[in-house]
Amino acid sequence: MLTDKVREEILKITAKYYNKRSAVMDALMLVQKDCGGNITRGDMEDIADMLEIKPHEVNAVATFYTMYNYAKPVGRYHIQVCRNISCALLEAERVIAHIEDTLGIKTGDTTPDNKFTLSTAECLGSCGTAPMMQINDNYYENLTPDKVDAILKGFE
Amino acid sequence: MATVIINGKTSSVKDGTLILDAARDAGVEIPTFCYQADLMGVGSCRMCLVEIEGQKKLQPSCITPVMDGMSIQTETPQILKARQGVLEFFLSNHALDCPVCDKGGECELQDMVYKHGPVEGRYAESKHRFHEKDYILSPVIVKNSNRCVQCLRCVRVCDEVVGRNVLASLGRGHEQEETSFLRSRLDCDHCGNCIEVCPVGCFMRLPYRYKSRPWDLKGTDTICPYCATGCRMVVEERDGEALRARAQIGVGINSETLCARGRFGFDFINDPRRLTTPLVKKFGKLEPATWSEALDFISEKLSGIEGERIGGLASPVLTNEELYSFQKLMRSTLGSPNIDSSTRWDPVVVENYIAASAMTSGGLSVFDAAEADTLFVAGTQLSDENPIVDYIARRISAERGTRIIVASVRDMKLDSSAGLSIRHLPGGLGALMKAAALSLYESKKDKLQGFAGVERFEGLSADVLLGEAGVSSDELAAITKRFETSATVALTAGTDLLRQSCGILALGLLSDVLKALGKEVLILPILDRANQRGAWEMGVLPGLAPGYRTASKRGLGTKEMIEAAAAGGIDAMYVIGEDPVGENPSGVSAFDALSKLSFILVQDTFLTDTAAMADCVLPGAFPAEKDGTFTNQEGRVQAMRRLKAPPGDARAYLAIIASVSGVLSSTTGVCTKTNSMQVFNEIRKEAPAYAGVSLEFNNRKNKLNKLDNREALAGASEGGFTPVAMTSCAPAAEQRGEGEFYLITGNTLFHSGRLSHSSPTLTGLQKGAALELSEADASALGLSSGEEARVQGNDYEVTLPVRLRKGMRDGVVYIPEFFPGVSVERFFTTGVSLPVVKVKKS
Ligand code: SF4
Ligand code: SF4
Ligand code: SF4
Ligand code: FES
Ligand code: FES
Repeated sequence: MLTDKVREEILKITAKYYNKRSAVMDALMLVQKDCGGNITRGDMEDIADMLEIKPHEVNAVATFYTMYNYAKPVGRYHIQVCRNISCALLEAERVIAHIEDTLGIKTGDTTPDNKFTLSTAECLGSCGTAPMMQINDNYYENLTPDKVDAILKGFE
Repeated sequence: MATVIINGKTSSVKDGTLILDAARDAGVEIPTFCYQADLMGVGSCRMCLVEIEGQKKLQPSCITPVMDGMSIQTETPQILKARQGVLEFFLSNHALDCPVCDKGGECELQDMVYKHGPVEGRYAESKHRFHEKDYILSPVIVKNSNRCVQCLRCVRVCDEVVGRNVLASLGRGHEQEETSFLRSRLDCDHCGNCIEVCPVGCFMRLPYRYKSRPWDLKGTDTICPYCATGCRMVVEERDGEALRARAQIGVGINSETLCARGRFGFDFINDPRRLTTPLVKKFGKLEPATWSEALDFISEKLSGIEGERIGGLASPVLTNEELYSFQKLMRSTLGSPNIDSSTRWDPVVVENYIAASAMTSGGLSVFDAAEADTLFVAGTQLSDENPIVDYIARRISAERGTRIIVASVRDMKLDSSAGLSIRHLPGGLGALMKAAALSLYESKKDKLQGFAGVERFEGLSADVLLGEAGVSSDELAAITKRFETSATVALTAGTDLLRQSCGILALGLLSDVLKALGKEVLILPILDRANQRGAWEMGVLPGLAPGYRTASKRGLGTKEMIEAAAAGGIDAMYVIGEDPVGENPSGVSAFDALSKLSFILVQDTFLTDTAAMADCVLPGAFPAEKDGTFTNQEGRVQAMRRLKAPPGDARAYLAIIASVSGVLSSTTGVCTKTNSMQVFNEIRKEAPAYAGVSLEFNNRKNKLNKLDNREALAGASEGGFTPVAMTSCAPAAEQRGEGEFYLITGNTLFHSGRLSHSSPTLTGLQKGAALELSEADASALGLSSGEEARVQGNDYEVTLPVRLRKGMRDGVVYIPEFFPGVSVERFFTTGVSLPVVKVKKS
């Protein structure tokens, strides 16, 4: 279910576009932010209703872009470690293994206290500062295991 | 024009032609997956790559238009290698379960790999599996995504052609899956066009799954027996059981498409309740008999009855040859002028409809109508009743910008392609067309000096007409503006005009005004029985002989025959494929009337209510069990071929009619022809419009995908006829009181007449009738979807579940025609085309 606040924001955004359907990506992002990082079936139906399109069309967009989390509940902090070429060459695998060890979870999982979710991502466009990761909306760059420890501690 | 060189051979093609089409025209085959004629190009599969001189990379020929002077190669080593690569890539994530796949043996992927594929694949990693078991998407569709090649044909056909848009491509990369919203059950048209276009075994027919392999099937070319669109299809059987119907790309106006009725409704053929032996009434009971016993019995009973005291009724789903022979038997052998082909339409109204819709001037291609500047869809719930015409209109209007105006009482799917949708009052179509004619006339009076029939405008007032139509003056202005700015206007003449005869006169007026304004006017009849037009052209009407000639003596129509039976005016009836008793026409009860007859002869495939009270019943055959021709609503004459013998002792109607004539006539050979081609040759002589018709194309796959075979269109009927004048058109709507509604009827997407109710698959898609009404009316009555309502009127009452309909006009309810247990016809009083009923929550 969309909150009134999100509905309002979606309406505002549709005004920017030539037609309502074009706002589908913004709508999904707003919903995802508002609903604890996860998009549900009901959300997609509501968005379709608001934008006068069909639910499967929202479904297609939501599953095409990997940054939308459909039916993938995530913890409060969503860690996405880049593992594409530049990061991989600079040992992204080691960063991933280190986070897995520290949090005691596997890639794709969420900690039992629902605090962290760990996933991997393709190139996040920050190759110059590889290896890197994104936690919620922020980038953390030039990572080393020590640096990762400090960053995670910061979320205590 | 552009000159292109393909594999060294020069040819010249229209500017903008795709390389693929240019190559195919030049006889060069290029393999494709995602390309499908009539669908928007996506260029996603890369199977069709070609080499263009001067360009480094290979280019997809299915989305690249030619340029003048282009030199193209289609078979270089680089291309062959690329094709292998594409196929290796498809197979890297393909289920490869051919031995259990329904598509095995007719799969495009199998064929391509066999022809162009690599010898082995190098991919050794594990494949992505979408799911373990096939999943069910609808009562007719089962899906296996592990076989998908991501060509998107299913998604495109559903959106661009069918207009339903319920499929999408979910996910990306090797996880991309073409399916419904979250793979949930589809609430769609269940047309199965997604199945037909899928090159592999992803979309499959649920009723056919695991039933056969394609090489064990035997098929024949036939025509869909439901509506009069005349879709060509192949019905296939195995061991005597009809298992599948499919359309073929490039064959018939429908090409690869069919609607749910056409694709899944053929299974009535297998019904175990079918009649398999003649029945003769002995001591008040119908008993099995041999053909010779039955024929002797008929000869004994009928020969004592004076010709004029016999009535004949034949179904508009019979072939032209059967209908022609039947009218000849009635008129010549028996000497009876009483002959009709419908329990629903009044013959006088039919004659006027034929004249107004210009059927006497020959066939009109549906493609011409769809390519007009404006297409005015009126008098028909087109999207439900004639779905393939809806597809053609949608596809062509998107391609060529035809402006579509939909004028109807209820919403319909085609609204989404129409620039203008008008919801008029039931019975108001005539007023709407008159208002349009009047407004065009008034605004161009100076140009229309001397307009013939100007007296038809006398006493008409725009305000009164708009009130009757329930349409605003702005809407009217929008319609006339579109007409004014069009050089060609196509008008559909739907079956509602046969119910509302005012509309027929209005159609004539509107088309006359448009013509006087110098526009080309095309009128496309839209009919709901496969060979209704053929029945009329074969002279199965009380006032018309074959070829639209005035009959030498005018006989009785169906309703008059039933009245005459009740009043002792006729003694016998000969009924083929119709069920006047079960179909309950208005007025006198057909059962009581027919009980008074001394002899009833019925030919049918089932023991209908009429057959059950007959003295003799002869078992007949369905299309696919006989040869013959149908004439569709456009006037296109098409042949169909026999697939298998009818069950038991049943025979084709043509053979039966010949036997009956044989025993009745002293002069042999009067109409005892049993070969449909012989009869057709006789028709060519009797109805000159058919003289030049070519049946040639009909059994052959048309390579160039030119669907419009104009040689099959009937020509103009010489002379024509003058229809009996309608004394007055049907009275306008009665006044409606509190809690009362106007009642309208018609076919649904899944059912049209008795036949569809014998199809288990169609019955599975829609079992019972429902009462449709607007949301506002429902809430005023305290009704919500699925609850039951009581409908009363005309001493008749039914209880029906309610279905809410967003685009329905308030004050109107709809009940479908011909549903078992719901005789909607009984709400209609003769002469009143628009009944008023009371609706209550039950
Ligand atoms: S059956 Fe027809 S309407 Fe339903 S998904 Fe397939 S193409 Fe679309
Ligand atoms: S399901 Fe069939 S038609 Fe649809 S994309 Fe896959 S292979 Fe193509
Ligand atoms: S549109 Fe008419 S003729 Fe074509 S498949 Fe459907 S019912 Fe049959
Ligand atoms: S590869 Fe990691 S940011 Fe580009
Ligand atoms: S057929 Fe041309 S890219 Fe698929």
